[in-house]
Amino acid sequence: MSESAVSVQHLSKTFGTHAVLQDVSFEVPAGQTFALLGRNGAGKTTTIRALLGLLPPDGGQIRIAGCDPARDPLELRRRVGYLAEDQSMYGWMTPVELCRFLAPFYPRWNAALANQYLDRFELPRQVRIERLSKGQSVKLGLAVALAHEPQVAILDDPALGLDPISRKEFYRDLVEHLQAEGRTVIYSSHLLAEVEAVADAVAILDRGRIVRHGATEVLRSEVQRLILPVAVARRRSPPTGLLDVRRQGDQLEIVIDGMEPFIDELTAAGLSPQPSTMTLDDIFEAFVIGRPQDWPTDESPSGASVVA
Amino acid sequence: MFLHIERGSSVPISRQITEQLRAQCLAGALRPGDKLPSVRELAQQLAVNVNTVFRVYERLAAEKLIELRHGDGTYVCQPQQEAQSQLATQREKYFREFDAVIQQGVLLGLTAADLRSRLTAVLSKRT
Repeated sequence: MSESAVSVQHLSKTFGTHAVLQDVSFEVPAGQTFALLGRNGAGKTTTIRALLGLLPPDGGQIRIAGCDPARDPLELRRRVGYLAEDQSMYGWMTPVELCRFLAPFYPRWNAALANQYLDRFELPRQVRIERLSKGQSVKLGLAVALAHEPQVAILDDPALGLDPISRKEFYRDLVEHLQAEGRTVIYSSHLLAEVEAVADAVAILDRGRIVRHGATEVLRSEVQRLILPVAVARRRSPPTGLLDVRRQGDQLEIVIDGMEPFIDELTAAGLSPQPSTMTLDDIFEAFVIGRPQDWPTDESPSGASVVA
Repeated sequence: MFLHIERGSSVPISRQITEQLRAQCLAGALRPGDKLPSVRELAQQLAVNVNTVFRVYERLAAEKLIELRHGDGTYVCQPQQEAQSQLATQREKYFREFDAVIQQGVLLGLTAADLRSRLTAVLSKRT
């Protein structure tokens, strides 16, 4: 892969005494789609605002499309397209007026392309923006974020508030107009079922830290679920990479990041464990609210069966 | 060619696409010489990451089920010898799942007649 289109190293940010970002690092190779996943308040928007230079970080380095957001804010805006989460556009303008208004800010604004996007997204040209539907205004936001042909597109929770059909259309546009043209995309979301289909790689943010980062497919093959009897677990120490433990009667349902060594261990002991793959939703949950500390120990009363 | 992608399934999307395409190649629903949609077209059609579709095509090409002809397109190959045994394996797997589904039906109190009429109904819908 060529040089990373986006590189974030040891990013940190504190609001007052509250650390909103701690040692956040990730790289996005050119042409890939990268999803930031996290609950509300996990630090997704703060990360994005730091990437764009809208928020000075307390520490760390950022390179995005060859720019340092602190030093080259103007060049960065030329190379990066941004769709804000709560994009407020001038409601009294029409889409055509908005394009005409924005064009002079961007040396590489492509008016013909902007026009094409308005067509392809079936946006009414002469209707005031305040009267567009939510789905239409997201599409307009995307059109104006892409009309200057940015190398990197940053989309902050673009699908938020869209109905299921518009969401699907939106992702199809993303695949068609961004991925197929080789652009690098960073977007944040908490609709994980849709992320899986679209993202090359994901990072799970939790309370300002990246708890897991990896190619979507790799993550799904490495993080798996296993059911095993409590009695078997009790004789062993918790496996490396244990993320979650749930007890149901005399069975344990566990989630492990890096299942293989534990499977080998159980197989060597004469068991035939059957791990299963999980949805991205379940993987996310295991990382964010998993309870690995619930692994049963010898000391726990063996007779009492706690039903979860 | 008809693919159905279930989002939010515990089966990864790449595996869903791979398995459905493989099954259609092996069973002859896709015939040797048939042209598949381009990576971009299929990605758009399914609203799935372009790189994911590309990897699926590469995997199936490595299995010699399809052929990526440079600058031309992607075509279904003449099935190889081992394709037959692959098909047999897939059918075996299918029958195991089928048996399990029937067992579930019996546990739910369905009779043999119920199951038979359901099977007939499903099959007649396809023709």
